[in-house]
Amino acid sequence: MSAVEQGALHAAAPAARPKTARRVPLVARALETLLVICLFLFMLGPLIWLAVRAFAAVWFFPRMLPNSWSLEWWRTVFDSPQFMHSVRLSFEFAPTVTIISAAICIPAAYAFSRYRFPGRRTLLISLFATNAFPKFGLYVSMAGFFYSLNLMGKFLGVVIVQLIGTIVFMTWIPTAAFSAVPRSLEDAARDVGAGPLRVFFRVTFPLAAPGILVAIILSFLAAFDEAQGTFLVGVPNYITMPTQMYTLVIDYPQQVAAVFSILLAIPSVVLMGFARKHVMGGRLAEGFQIR
Amino acid sequence: MVLPPVGVVAAFIGFPVVAAIAYTLGKTGGPNSMVASLAQHQHVAKHGVTLAAYREMLGDHQVLGDLWATVWVTVVAVLIVLAMSWTIALYLRLRGGKIAALLSGLSVVPLFIPVVIASYALVTFYSVDGFVRTVAYNLGYHSFPTVGYTLTAVVIGEVWVNVPFGVLMLSSGLNGVPDSLIEASRDAGASLSRTVRSVLFPLNVIPTVIVATFTAIYVLGSFTVPYLVGPSAPNLLGVSMSNYFSSFNQPQQSEVLAVIVFVLAAGIGAVYVWANVRASRRAGQVA
Amino acid sequence: MTAAGLNIESVSKDLGGRTIVDSLELEVEAGELTCLLGPSGCGKTTTLRMIGGFLHPDAGRVLIDGQDVTGLAPERRPTAMVFQSYALWPHMTVFKNVAFGLRLRKLPRSEVTERVERILELVGLTHHLHSYPARISGGEQQRVALARALVLEPKVLLLDEPLSNLDAKLRVRVREDIREIQQRIGITTVFVTHDQDEALSISDRIAVMSGGRVEQYAAARELYREPATTFVAGFVGAMNVYTGTTTGEGIELADGTRIPCAELTATGGEFTFGVRPEDVQVTADGRGADATVVREVPRGHYKELVLAAGENELRAFVGSDMRLPERVRVSFGRVLCYREGVLQHATPAAVE
Repeated sequence: MSAVEQGALHAAAPAARPKTARRVPLVARALETLLVICLFLFMLGPLIWLAVRAFAAVWFFPRMLPNSWSLEWWRTVFDSPQFMHSVRLSFEFAPTVTIISAAICIPAAYAFSRYRFPGRRTLLISLFATNAFPKFGLYVSMAGFFYSLNLMGKFLGVVIVQLIGTIVFMTWIPTAAFSAVPRSLEDAARDVGAGPLRVFFRVTFPLAAPGILVAIILSFLAAFDEAQGTFLVGVPNYITMPTQMYTLVIDYPQQVAAVFSILLAIPSVVLMGFARKHVMGGRLAEGFQIR
Repeated sequence: MVLPPVGVVAAFIGFPVVAAIAYTLGKTGGPNSMVASLAQHQHVAKHGVTLAAYREMLGDHQVLGDLWATVWVTVVAVLIVLAMSWTIALYLRLRGGKIAALLSGLSVVPLFIPVVIASYALVTFYSVDGFVRTVAYNLGYHSFPTVGYTLTAVVIGEVWVNVPFGVLMLSSGLNGVPDSLIEASRDAGASLSRTVRSVLFPLNVIPTVIVATFTAIYVLGSFTVPYLVGPSAPNLLGVSMSNYFSSFNQPQQSEVLAVIVFVLAAGIGAVYVWANVRASRRAGQVA
Repeated sequence: MTAAGLNIESVSKDLGGRTIVDSLELEVEAGELTCLLGPSGCGKTTTLRMIGGFLHPDAGRVLIDGQDVTGLAPERRPTAMVFQSYALWPHMTVFKNVAFGLRLRKLPRSEVTERVERILELVGLTHHLHSYPARISGGEQQRVALARALVLEPKVLLLDEPLSNLDAKLRVRVREDIREIQQRIGITTVFVTHDQDEALSISDRIAVMSGGRVEQYAAARELYREPATTFVAGFVGAMNVYTGTTTGEGIELADGTRIPCAELTATGGEFTFGVRPEDVQVTADGRGADATVVREVPRGHYKELVLAAGENELRAFVGSDMRLPERVRVSFGRVLCYREGVLQHATPAAVE
């Protein structure tokens, strides 16, 4: 097998490989198309259905499409100070949380990657295992804790809550990214006289940057989409977009929720689209093995 | 250097978790005092610990119903996720081409959408006036069952959210199997399905275990999907927890449920760790 | 096992927009060990994979034992392939690897065990019956792959660069083992390589390939003595190549240098000439063109001389004891004459 064909093996998105081009029987073709249609309906159906509703003035059952179209609900959302406030808050919290998370986790990731210290594996796993405790139970207990620390309803309280959700991304992924930078490159830099800090910033970090970027994006989205904890800790002062969704769904017409959903989904779609190439790279399985 | 994140986690997760567990055992002092002061119907430990809270919850048949619902929704969701992920990943690996690229793109869509939005979209899709019933109605089925706000919808929702990870993980694992191993099997006379059974699957047990355990842990503790999509009873434990806290004002009972979920999740996590350890130990035997 | 012939009729294959195999014709006799030899990209592996069923030809047919197998999937063809990477299943023992194909055919357990043990004895691996592939050496893995292919008693055995992953010394031993086993069983075999030593030493016939076509399909001796095209001439063994015209007494090269060749009495023809180094006759002061010795390279039982005659470089093989001054005379013994890449005549003509 040529090198080109072997290279194509390591991509989750399939490249054109020379398959035995037998005439695929009609039954197989039909099944394939059915599979695609089913998956399309299953995955995208709900999203499209919701998106259409955002542009509906009136839509009664059992019509397949709205009775009449309109952008009025968009105006409703944009005119509402409450909603726009939550939008702005989301965009204040998420970057803050991401920056803090990066600042504390990336050095740790470097340590995990480069130094073999006792308990390293245990620590890595426990950072991950803390996600096993159901978030809600955690927040309840934290609520008490926060009350005594006077963090309830405070900016810092919400930051901490969102921060916790990002820690796993910000440690595991950069650890893998740093580990992927060959030691020999760092040694070569030291050999020509660069000090440890310079080696880090000129050699290690740039090479690990794509992985770190993915971690940053995933952390940003984790913070941005965090709802339960923010609900518990931030109410009534700080209501972010996801938290707002919970009440929207119950108290407002479906169209408003639909509009809000699209707004809330935009950062996700944009950022994940950006990170897609790296997330979907074939090395994902290795990243989850504990070495 | 490792201290900061570990410190944050220890302080803001580890500590509250320990305090929560203590609380469930009746310790209402110290860090739990704030919550305890607002709580109703607590079981306080006179000395040592008391299992009264656990006895109450595990004796309550509605709670047991919730526990059972959580477990079977988890099991069903995991099985469906595995089935779908394997199917899609196998197709990607063995067929390639435009259809495969389309499938792979579709299967990772959920990664792009926040869970809150997804849940809401799913419940409107399957609700009384949703897509499914609308199509059915227009085809003549006027009383097609409503899936929304049932446990079935919860299963659908959890599957929807977890398929991308399954597909990515299994694709990655399957791509690690060289073409020549598959060709050698066919050369020996094995049909494609036999090749999958004898070569592809045994070489991908670990990724399968990873997908199963991660999905199970996620579903066990999940809140948003069952909250927005599920019935008012029985609830998944994630939602029950919230009810006991917010509606009934019984934080201790809420924490008991959290600990139960945690124990289940930890058990599953142990499977993941064991599988990984076994794999790295066998790495000497199996290339 | 009765041997089967293999026929490849006008097979073509395009990959990635390029024509890799171009109307290829090949007729392998039953029980013959044929080699597909050529540089990277010549289409040899693609051809092999088409015989095995892993690629479907765009045009043409593949026949085994007279039967058209072109439309058959690999699992249905009476071929067995030994892959370049051996492709042993890492989660199965040696025994299980070899037994796999037999188990598929639902043979009784005792027969499976008996056949597997017999074949492993043939390749000398009984002591590794229950080892895992990761634990045995490269050469041993290769033999397992061979055993796995042979145990199914295929009509045609296919080998894809079987020796390229082995170190040099091992290569020589293993290729002779392969030849010995092949002859003992009498199985029709096609193997692919880019190493001419390998091809020349064990094949019955060699198909030299270039650009998706067979340039010449013949036994080693004929390939060497009468290469049908300039490509084969240059690929198999060393060759001096020049353009020029015949003079009646020899050759006149492009720069005017005249080199005598006793056997070449034709005149006025423009050719591309090929002269093997051993056919370059070098003397201190005999008949011939003037030349200077640029370099002497000792090669054990012979010496290679690099000579300059006019603006031309000549390479000659002479005895290792030969003592020569710096200025010598060269003439040609045997010359191959090519026009438009194809051999027109050789002197002296014909292979014995």
